[in-house]
Amino acid sequence: MSSQALLYVFVLPVAWLLLWLLKSARSRQLLLLITSYVLYGSFGLKFLVLLVGSSLMNHALGILLRRKPSLGRLWLGIAVNVALLGTFKYLPPFALLLPASSLTTVLANIVLPVGISFWTFQALSYLLDLYREEELDPSLLEFLLYMAFWPTVLSGPICRLSSLLPQFRSPFKPSQEDVRRGLDRICIGLFMTALGQMLGAGLHAGQGIDGIFDSSRQNFAGPDIWCLAIGYGFELFFNFAGYTHIVIGAARLFGFRLEENFDRPYLSTTPSQFWTRWHMSLSFWIRDYLFLPMVMLRRETWWRSCVLMLSMVVFGLWHKGAFLFLLWGLYQGILLVLHRQWQKISGRYEWHLPQSLMAPLCWVVTFCAICLGWIFFRANNLNQAFTMLRAAVTPGTYMRYTLPGDLFLLVTVLAAGYFLTVGAQHLLRKHAEAVTIPLEFRFALYAVAVYAGIFHSAQTQAFIYLQF
Amino acid sequence: MRWCLGLVIFVVVLEVCARVDDVISYDAPFWGKYDDDILLQKDSIGKWGRPGAHYAKWQLNSLGYRGPELRAGSIRIITVGASETFGLYEAPGEEYPRQLERDLNTWAGRDVFQVVNVAFAGETLPTAILRVPQIVEQVHPSYALIYPDLSSYIWMSLKPANAPANQAEAVHHQEKFESRLSVRVENLLKQTLPISIQDELRKISMRREIASRHYVILDRLPEDRFEHFRRDLRNLIAELREHGVEPILVTHATIFSKPLAEGDRISLTHWRKIYPMLKEEGFLDMERRMNDIIRQTALEEHLPVIDADEEMPHGPKYFADFVHFTTYGAGVMASILTDGLEPLLAPPLRTAEGSTQSGSLAQTDSAGSSREQ
Repeated sequence: MSSQALLYVFVLPVAWLLLWLLKSARSRQLLLLITSYVLYGSFGLKFLVLLVGSSLMNHALGILLRRKPSLGRLWLGIAVNVALLGTFKYLPPFALLLPASSLTTVLANIVLPVGISFWTFQALSYLLDLYREEELDPSLLEFLLYMAFWPTVLSGPICRLSSLLPQFRSPFKPSQEDVRRGLDRICIGLFMTALGQMLGAGLHAGQGIDGIFDSSRQNFAGPDIWCLAIGYGFELFFNFAGYTHIVIGAARLFGFRLEENFDRPYLSTTPSQFWTRWHMSLSFWIRDYLFLPMVMLRRETWWRSCVLMLSMVVFGLWHKGAFLFLLWGLYQGILLVLHRQWQKISGRYEWHLPQSLMAPLCWVVTFCAICLGWIFFRANNLNQAFTMLRAAVTPGTYMRYTLPGDLFLLVTVLAAGYFLTVGAQHLLRKHAEAVTIPLEFRFALYAVAVYAGIFHSAQTQAFIYLQF
Repeated sequence: MRWCLGLVIFVVVLEVCARVDDVISYDAPFWGKYDDDILLQKDSIGKWGRPGAHYAKWQLNSLGYRGPELRAGSIRIITVGASETFGLYEAPGEEYPRQLERDLNTWAGRDVFQVVNVAFAGETLPTAILRVPQIVEQVHPSYALIYPDLSSYIWMSLKPANAPANQAEAVHHQEKFESRLSVRVENLLKQTLPISIQDELRKISMRREIASRHYVILDRLPEDRFEHFRRDLRNLIAELREHGVEPILVTHATIFSKPLAEGDRISLTHWRKIYPMLKEEGFLDMERRMNDIIRQTALEEHLPVIDADEEMPHGPKYFADFVHFTTYGAGVMASILTDGLEPLLAPPLRTAEGSTQSGSLAQTDSAGSSREQ
């Protein structure tokens, strides 16, 4: 837990109580904006200045677009935002590749403002929606709040103004159900982040997923790679989905409903399905503002495949301006294209396995393919990624394993535990819709989640997506 | 009413979670007291390590010293000191004596040296002197690295009537319920509260302590304390020599830069919170003068001295508080000590190599090897 997290714990209850006292929507928006700026400013005043500057600039660009939604004005807006993001996100790693000079030293030391990828994409979606002549008329205050809104500004979900604006304007009346659901989501999130941190740190020092990736180890065996790939897949999922549960829950305490970011992604039976269930707010952003407009330009199959690949490369590079993320995007693009080709071929020959066999088989293939891709996402360098992938595709390495047995056990138990929980949840929803947990038992569960997420994990890593 | 009951259940379950966590992580008892007191026992001399005890990350061996069991056939070096040597903030197995042992064995090319950490938090030179016969009988060391705790001399004459003799003796005599959750909350706040707020809280606590205990505030440590320190250091050297152990002195390093760096004031306040009777500048004066005494004593006694005070870098990267090392700082300290020890250890290492070649390495520790595992 960091100083900033402690600030959230103190500031948000005060803001929640004050909001009850304010009658007008405008004063409530102002209080939410001040709260958001105080919390965001705790990460650095320079970051706050940049956020305010970007918000004012995008609001002005929005006014221009509303007056006359021309392609030129849209491109101006896109260019300015991409330039801003590029300066902070892509210039520093690029500068490291250039010959050393005082300029490259300055560029390489530019600090990435927290959440810039998220709020820049929110700004872009606003401009693109205006170009499509959506009915959006935020006041300056509303737009500043949309850009800095405390639940979403750090690591998403990337929201659209059309979904938040009506909520900013509606009365502040969080119901008991909102509070209950909000607390539930926060506790689920805390518990998930604790599980993610357990995978990252391992049961013994240096023997978790992160410790192994960060070591100089080279002699991997096949089972090791699958343990690391699946383990990191779950670490990332527990960490990011846990964070998302916390922010969605915290927003719900205030009566706001944010878009979901995850929908049981590891149950997907195709790569396409996976990308409608993992980091959904970014996935849908790329689908709506990049893939669909481009794919409409031509009807040929090769063009569709190229756009798919390009979209996934952008998805990868959105995380970080690094070659490994480009490769990760390409890999996901190839999976999607292969899946489309497979659909075409199987459709043409009308050859199908029984569904009872096909569904588990598709799930296994998708799960393994997605997990193997996490190697590109997590590896520290190209050499490590290819060393690992080589071990994964070399049959001779499958007769041994080199990682601690504890780690295999931990990954297996947590992965199996996740699938069992999802299964149990499904059965409960199906057969016992009206299950209510007594308040006392609910508080006991909250305590376990708070202990696991805050006290037990106090000294381990932070949220992974804060670095993007 | 149900919400109140819910809150009570919430707190009780948190406390249960803390205890279950202790049971799983450290094999601690679920009920009863669980704090660092279980590491120590008391005998006629004072506090002493409880053989085989463990608390949280701290594990004592079967002789009651922090670290692994004794290895037969090694050249042994004991580290005499207080909490800086025992290790507080470092990761387990990363306190400087452990890192020093690894560094020395890397230099030697094989596991020939064993560093035995005979220090305890709050150990003073007078008690260390009394412990020498017992330590020598158990460990059979060839060398003793003396890294003394200087601040124990503040307490010696300045304690109020109702204050304990030193930090280590500040023990709880009553077996009462102690919440393990509250310890975690305190640790969490220490991690998360901004440094400036923690600094202010320490100042408030310090002012209260001074007011309640009626301390006389001193600008500098009185002259007799320095003489006391000089005498104790000489006695310890004499006692070690008498038992055939070669002492090596180490000057005392702190986080404080010379001149003070930005942020050092906060560390000074932190230090003063523990010894409120001495003004902040008094600590720096005490460190400077006592280190001079260590250097001078080494010269007079013809002893090697490793000047950690001069060689150790300063700042929060190396020190977790005013004098205690971070894991990284302990590594730097270990490498400074290794550099200082190499010329001294080269001759016994050659002898040990000769013994190995003639098939009798165990002769380096012939007296004690029969008792060890």
